[in-house]
Formats: sequence, structure tokens, C-alpha cells
Amino acid sequence: MNIVILFLLLAGIGVSLLSGTADGVLTALQGGASDAIQTVLRLSGAYLVWMGLMNVAEKAGLIRSLSRLLSPALSLLFPNAGKAKEAISLNLAANMLGMGNAATPYGLKAMRLLNESNPYAGVATDEMCTLLVINASCLELFPTTLIGLRASCGSARPAAVVLPTLLSSLAATLVAVVLCLTFTHPCRSRS
Amino acid sequence: MPVAILILLLLICAAFRRVNVFQAFCEGAAQALPLMKTILPTLAVFSAAMALFRHSGAFDLLSSFLSPAFHALRVDPALVPLLVVRPFSGSAALAALTDIFTQYGPDSRVGLTASVLLGSSETVFYTLALYFGSVGIKKTRFAVPAALAALFTSVVTGLLFSSLFFG
Repeated sequence: MNIVILFLLLAGIGVSLLSGTADGVLTALQGGASDAIQTVLRLSGAYLVWMGLMNVAEKAGLIRSLSRLLSPALSLLFPNAGKAKEAISLNLAANMLGMGNAATPYGLKAMRLLNESNPYAGVATDEMCTLLVINASCLELFPTTLIGLRASCGSARPAAVVLPTLLSSLAATLVAVVLCLTFTHPCRSRS
Repeated sequence: MPVAILILLLLICAAFRRVNVFQAFCEGAAQALPLMKTILPTLAVFSAAMALFRHSGAFDLLSSFLSPAFHALRVDPALVPLLVVRPFSGSAALAALTDIFTQYGPDSRVGLTASVLLGSSETVFYTLALYFGSVGIKKTRFAVPAALAALFTSVVTGLLFSSLFFG
């Protein structure tokens, strides 16, 4: 990220100097930074409403129902997860609802629990790798933050992207699942 | 329309299960403010750098340089910043997406494609660093190549489904 930012800043200032518009550098920087406040304000509606609704869903036991639905698939992907299984399922359920930020605490808890039964400190177990890869590809049932941001930017059809997003993330998840099963299988038969 | 029905079902279900909807909503919404505070610095740095990059003309240079390659792949050069930052930072990706929305509109072809790309991919490197860092994992085995393969798939299929759905 550092390199990306440095590149943007250096190239921006460099081109400004060469094209003789160096006076605009500060204006552009400050304008951009205050746009960030605008973005946060746009996101605020999405965050407030969806985090509120998501807590209602959690209190109504819906996140737990979704994680129970995931249970058979999890047994296949995480055969030795043990007590980390609940945290894993909550992590994935929150991720599927586009609440990446709510998913992170569960993911970290799952990692900690998985690490407790790790025989080789510092080396990732099959379960840890699988959790990470599934998280990195996560199936997006309903991208709440995205829809909220689209709506607050004046979209006439904020939910038009739900189906292509679902299909595309489904493809990525399938690739992730197949790769994880392929990589973990030989290790298991050896042990 | 589908969103409204979804929220309606959620509320009916919650009321049916005797959840205090008001209280639960407030508790959830209370977590939004710290979250906005955390993402603001990243958003600000990235928005400032992006604004400078575009205003200076550097972006036009880069996209005219890249446009033959992107034309061959049928990818809009406006998507480049989003694709570059997406694996590293969710906040920066949101800034890049908002940028596309304000330049071209959320319902433009590029706005819709950018939405799909953001929605179906993840902050792979950030997740790797955070999750493995939290328990001191040094040897990551197959996690990195598999995660990158998934990321690559989501970009390719995201572009593919976008052109199928949005023409």
C-alpha cells in the first residue's frame, strides 16, 4: 500500500511540475482529503442502517441459523476444526452478508482456537490455510455495504449488482474450495 | 424492491421472536461510528493521492499508455485504481469506488462493473497479514497462491458477468 500511495503522490507531483500546474497540487490534495469526509458521510447511512439491522438479525438468531446451514460444508472443509468451528461459521456467515468488519473478530478468534491445537508453532495448519483462503474469496450472498453506498451515491437500481456479484464470488469460492481440498488431501492421507 | 422485502421479512421475523428491535438496532448502529473513525485516515490519504494523480494529468498519461492493453481485454481503464488497491485495503477500494461513482455515476457501465468487482473480491493481503499475524504464523504453505487464485477468478468472472448483465 505504501508503494501505491508513494507512486500516486510522486507521479502526481512530478507531472504537475512538468506541465506547469504545480500551483494546483495543494488544492487537489486538500480537495481529495475532504472528499474522504464526503465518502464517510455517504457510507454512514449504509453502516448505521446495516449494522443496526444486522444486530437485529443476530438477536433474532438468523446469523446463527445461517451458520447452522453452513455446518455440513464446514465439516468437509475443516475436519479437524474442533471448538473453532462455531467461530468459523459465524465468521463466514457475517462475510456472506457483506459485513467484512463484523466478520473479522470471529475470524481472529477462530485463528486463535485453531492455533491452540497447532503442533508446529509458526506453521499454518490445513484448517488455518483453508479459513484464510475461504475468507479471501468469500461468497457474497448480499453485499450490504456496497448496496448502501450505491444508494447514497444516487443509484436508481442499487441492488442491480447483487446477482452478478453473487455469481462472480461463487466462482471464486468454488476455485478456493477445490484448491483447498486438493492441497489438504495428500497431507491428510500421510498423517 | 428485493431489499425492501428482505428488510420487511427480517423485521417480521425479529418481532415474531420477541426481539427488542429498537434496542438491537441502536446497539448495532452504535458500532458504526468507531468503524467510520477507523476508515477515515486511509480514505483521506487515498482520496488525496487519487485527486492529485487525476488533476495533474498523470492518470490520463497512464491510461493512454495502458489503454491498448485494456482495450484488448475490454476493461475500462477507469477501473485500474480500484483493481490495484482492492487486495490491500478495503477503505482505499471504497474510496476508488466512490471516485468512479462521482465521475461516471453508480448506474453507468463502469460504475456497475466496479461495484461487482468490489463486491466479489476481498482484501487478500490485508486478511493474510491480519489473520496469520495475529497467531504468529510464518510459514503460510498453500494459503497465498490459493488466495491469489481466488482473487484472480473473482476479477475475471466479475468482468465477465458484468458484461453479460450490463452489456
